[in-house]
Amino acid sequence: MEISRDAYRAIEDIVGTENVTDDPAFLDSYAFEWLAELVRPNRSHYMPRPWAVVMPASTREVQAVTKVCNKYKIKIKPISTGWYHWAAPMKDNEPTVQLDLRRMNRIIDIDEKNRFAIVEPYVICAQLQAEAMKLGLNCNIIGAGSSTSVVASACAYFGGGPSSHYMGNNSDNLLGQEWVTPVGKVVRTGSLSSGAGWFCSEGPGPSVRGVTRGNLGSRGGLGTYTKCAIKLADWPGPTEFEVKGRPPGYRLPVGENFRAYTIGAPNWDAWANCYYAIYDNGLGYIFHRQLNLAGANLATALWLTYIDPTKTLNDVETLAKDPEIIAINEKARISFQLILAAQSVDGIQLQDKILDQILSQTGCYKVERYCQQDMAEFTNMYMQRLGHKHCNFIWAGGYMGSWMQAGTPDFVKGYVPTAIKGFEEDQQSHLLVECGGDALMGCGSTLGGGGYFGLEQFVSYDPASDASIDACIKHMEDAIADCVAQGLPLGKELLYLQIGWSDQRIWDGMAKAPQTFVLDFQRQFKEAVDPNSLGDRNYPWLPEKWGQAPAQAK
Amino acid sequence: MTIQDYRADALRCTRCAYCKWVPLDLMKSWRFSKGCPSVEYGKFHSYSAGGRLITSLSLMDGRSTVTDKVKDSVFMCNMCGSCDVACKVCRYDMEPLLAMHALRAKLVEDGDLPEAFQPMLESLRKDYNTMGEPHERRGDWAKDLGVKDLTKTTAKYVFHAGCRYSFDGEQSEVARTAVEILKKAGVDFGIMGAAESCCGGKAFSIGVDQQLHNSADHNLAAWKKAGVDTVITPCADCYYAFKRLYTKHAGSTIKVVHMVELLDQMVTDGRLKMTNPVPMKVTYHDPCHLGRQGEDYVPWDGVEKKIFGQAVVYDPPRPRYNGAFGVYDAPRNVLKAIPGVELVEMERIKEGAWCCGAGGGAREAYPKFSEWTAGERIEEAESTGADALVTACPWCERNFIDAVRGTKGKLEVLDILQLVAMAL
Repeated sequence: MEISRDAYRAIEDIVGTENVTDDPAFLDSYAFEWLAELVRPNRSHYMPRPWAVVMPASTREVQAVTKVCNKYKIKIKPISTGWYHWAAPMKDNEPTVQLDLRRMNRIIDIDEKNRFAIVEPYVICAQLQAEAMKLGLNCNIIGAGSSTSVVASACAYFGGGPSSHYMGNNSDNLLGQEWVTPVGKVVRTGSLSSGAGWFCSEGPGPSVRGVTRGNLGSRGGLGTYTKCAIKLADWPGPTEFEVKGRPPGYRLPVGENFRAYTIGAPNWDAWANCYYAIYDNGLGYIFHRQLNLAGANLATALWLTYIDPTKTLNDVETLAKDPEIIAINEKARISFQLILAAQSVDGIQLQDKILDQILSQTGCYKVERYCQQDMAEFTNMYMQRLGHKHCNFIWAGGYMGSWMQAGTPDFVKGYVPTAIKGFEEDQQSHLLVECGGDALMGCGSTLGGGGYFGLEQFVSYDPASDASIDACIKHMEDAIADCVAQGLPLGKELLYLQIGWSDQRIWDGMAKAPQTFVLDFQRQFKEAVDPNSLGDRNYPWLPEKWGQAPAQAK
Repeated sequence: MTIQDYRADALRCTRCAYCKWVPLDLMKSWRFSKGCPSVEYGKFHSYSAGGRLITSLSLMDGRSTVTDKVKDSVFMCNMCGSCDVACKVCRYDMEPLLAMHALRAKLVEDGDLPEAFQPMLESLRKDYNTMGEPHERRGDWAKDLGVKDLTKTTAKYVFHAGCRYSFDGEQSEVARTAVEILKKAGVDFGIMGAAESCCGGKAFSIGVDQQLHNSADHNLAAWKKAGVDTVITPCADCYYAFKRLYTKHAGSTIKVVHMVELLDQMVTDGRLKMTNPVPMKVTYHDPCHLGRQGEDYVPWDGVEKKIFGQAVVYDPPRPRYNGAFGVYDAPRNVLKAIPGVELVEMERIKEGAWCCGAGGGAREAYPKFSEWTAGERIEEAESTGADALVTACPWCERNFIDAVRGTKGKLEVLDILQLVAMAL
């Protein structure tokens, strides 16, 4: 499929010849996306190909390209760092221009006094964190890791991460955005629109945050976010990381006002009680169930292998059978990582005392081997920078997250046995990595201050094996069936699978939602800002009269 | 290995884009956070390692063909291996650098090598060097030094100057300095003179694998005849070719030593005494082929297997090359041993170093890109406040010298041997 030459030339005139391409191999590098093989016909690793890729350098260029797309009725799909299957065009044979925003890569300002940064879409979390730390500040890095775009997580996708418990979710940390709507209007939200700067997303000036991003975000389906301001948190550590060790297991020494712990629990009740106590006592700079992504049966063997640069994954097999490792693994079976930080040594000592008391009261404990220097420093590095997040893929190259329904610790604890049992059963095919039924990972809280989070089942499969891909799809369907049987909301697997569904099927599902008037409202909003329907269905809405009638005022 | 051999790697790539950055843990600023010169210059994803894996897949699947744009995306790359290090932090056993080489080799095999490489290849075929110079002049740099001619006699060590030091008049002094140091240390060595051939590494890096075999056959036979068991070189490119490529592709068992390793050893055992103060603040650039790609080659012949159902491992265990054990300490030890020298580090060092821009044939075929890459490094070096940028590879030096001249900058560019010479 080819973009019209007139449209192509018009775009060239805006961004320059060197910043637009319709070379098929180049287009494929945007169509090829993680998770595509789970939703595309014949397990294809390619999502639909964009008809051209364009690299604007400024809001003005984004606006101009958007207007050309409106003139020629070409869909617009912006990406920043660009992964996930929904980052690609959604439908075959639908003219789509992919806006690759990598030229918009500046940190425009860090307002030290008011603790926020203004960034463009191709600024990644690691860059912002490195610059913020020089000023004694830090940013919330989302669960997908520090290679991800700050703007994308704040404006267009779920913005939770291991530090959200302390620093807030990026949906909350968003202080204002500059948005090029699908018709090419530039909207500046919150205080920015009244010329008062970026300090507040809710005004004075229009707030559309709830509509454009909600909990999940429009995932590139509703125009292009070209800048945002993001709230920063305090950082009581050094101005830059003094990293030790050799790759891949880099280590970050734990400063005298920091602690890096792995906390174990004897059972899920104790685990939940410990979470509540951590919330109640305001503990935790970073709070996450991270290292269990490798699976509770193999985690210890994997990480002790990983931090030794002379070893290979073959060593995991031997190590996993070692009685000493098995014993450690059992202590760490129900565990999570907790990074404490304080402004002073006295402060951290007080936190230590509080934590010790919590552990004593809940029956939880520090997992000794994980708290020894090598593992503590590795854990500290992993959690502070989140530069190892793609260890998600370490086993076989493919990972898909199921479950992840969010709620209180008691709610999450409630679905854990089902998630474990279902995953164990699906592993019996030998077509998924057999790491144990509990590969559940997730933040301590995605709500600043604690109280709300989910656990995601890390399903590792081999994307180079059709049988393994099929096994992963089966697991996704099984997880949905388990949720339905238990009356639970559906999890991430549904979010992923829906990308491959027809509009009709998606709308049929949405129509069963308890409050479809929200989706009706979003349709009206979309019609207002995107009359030519150049966004895609990642911004959810329902056709008119598809759901229930709105409630009548009494 | 062919692109088909890396098909599984391509399918397992998740487009995470780690390959574009320095290892994220090592990132210290916005300005110097990038790892891949190619994608920073070419911008489109196709210019990254991940993009090239997808290009391979797309070509294999018949979804696209080799256009001029595709050729540029494949060859406008220094093959510096930054992507390889960053990828393997999480993707552990992926081999993006090898896969990129296989893609180049495929294009070469299909007659899709850009024309700009031809002068260098022609020079290699005709004169056994990459510099377009007559091969008879190769030993001229050492004419008056009284070094053993190993075409006529034997020695335990051969000093291999490499193409750049042999023919670049501005740089040959470094090779002469090396020779003087070796002589003073009483090392039993000689040179091959006009019979020295290019290592073949540069041709291999652009995918012309046969040229490596030709060079390896020639050099290994000449060394064997001269009774050599160790090759000493001041060139990081040659070091990599001899240590890794000759071992892997030509079964070489010869010991390979870079001059900085020898200098480090000589400092440690007291054979090299540097007493002259050199009051200079310097920063050190890790050449890719000495640093992250300078690890020992470990022979491996095995297959992929699965454990725990689907976890991918290799039988027997496959050695990992991720820059963990490159030559990083030796040059730093030498610099620290020079009285008066203050070593200040750049942000991107060791396995995370930004490339000089000369590698992978970029200097020959994509000079603007090559110069831009060097310029980025110069800026990073200048940000340390150093008086001089020191390195241990003539290709890095040449590119840096040219880049500094291009900007009329004041930063001095030195080989570590020049600094050592000042201290003797």
